[in-house]
Amino acid sequence: MITTLAFALVGLTAVLAVFGVVTTALGRPVGRAHTLAVGGVEALLVLQAVLAALRVAGGARPPETETFLIYLLVSVCVLPIGLQFAKADETRWGGTVVAVTAVATGVAVLRLLGLWGGASG
Amino acid sequence: MAESPEPTGPRETSRGVGRVLVAVYAVFALSASARAGVQLATKYHEAPLAYLLSAFAGGVYILATIGLAGRRPAFRTLAWVAVLVEMTGVLVVGTLSVAAPADFPKATVWSGYGAGYGWVPLVLPIFGLLWLRRTSRDTPANSTRD
Repeated sequence: MITTLAFALVGLTAVLAVFGVVTTALGRPVGRAHTLAVGGVEALLVLQAVLAALRVAGGARPPETETFLIYLLVSVCVLPIGLQFAKADETRWGGTVVAVTAVATGVAVLRLLGLWGGASG
Repeated sequence: MAESPEPTGPRETSRGVGRVLVAVYAVFALSASARAGVQLATKYHEAPLAYLLSAFAGGVYILATIGLAGRRPAFRTLAWVAVLVEMTGVLVVGTLSVAAPADFPKATVWSGYGAGYGWVPLVLPIFGLLWLRRTSRDTPANSTRD
């Protein structure tokens, strides 16, 4: 289940990145649509982080557990910070800032998948 | 003509497209230093040179992020120095890692000119330097106040 969620999140962060770049291309500053999109993806990221943290607390030991936990933390922190940073500027480039943080989050989830895949064999 | 008018006044490095640059630098600052921190803490003896180099790169990215995000003239100087060190670092480490791969048993951010990171580490300082040059040229002389 957690692997399915992770794959879905890789796809969703990619979609969010495309959305951000498109709003920049259209000349739109960051607005409600960005907040809703980031909020939706973030809710699933938090769910994933809670599920994964519960498994680690329950005794699961992915290889490089410290790195795994750091990636888990990064996966939930980057998007909200990026959105705030993007909102503080009223130009159209805010969408691309959201896109950059979405790509970074997607990479973090991919790394999580790699480590988790090694754990379950 | 959908171009929105740019705000007047001094050109800050963290505005407009510069904000994207700051975001990319922040992502690299976070990932490079967090990764180096874990490597130094858990397996320093495996490849001390590579891990120390990663930590150095992480520090350079942090300074470049702060320099580009800041508003005072001192931040611009910091950004220039950090991005120039970064450019030098990626070129020197990239060349060494290709010329003498035996000395680089473990990859760093700058190994192979940043090939492991989609060559972003090579492209980033180029954009950084271009952006710093462009924003300093466009800054109106009368807007500096002290």
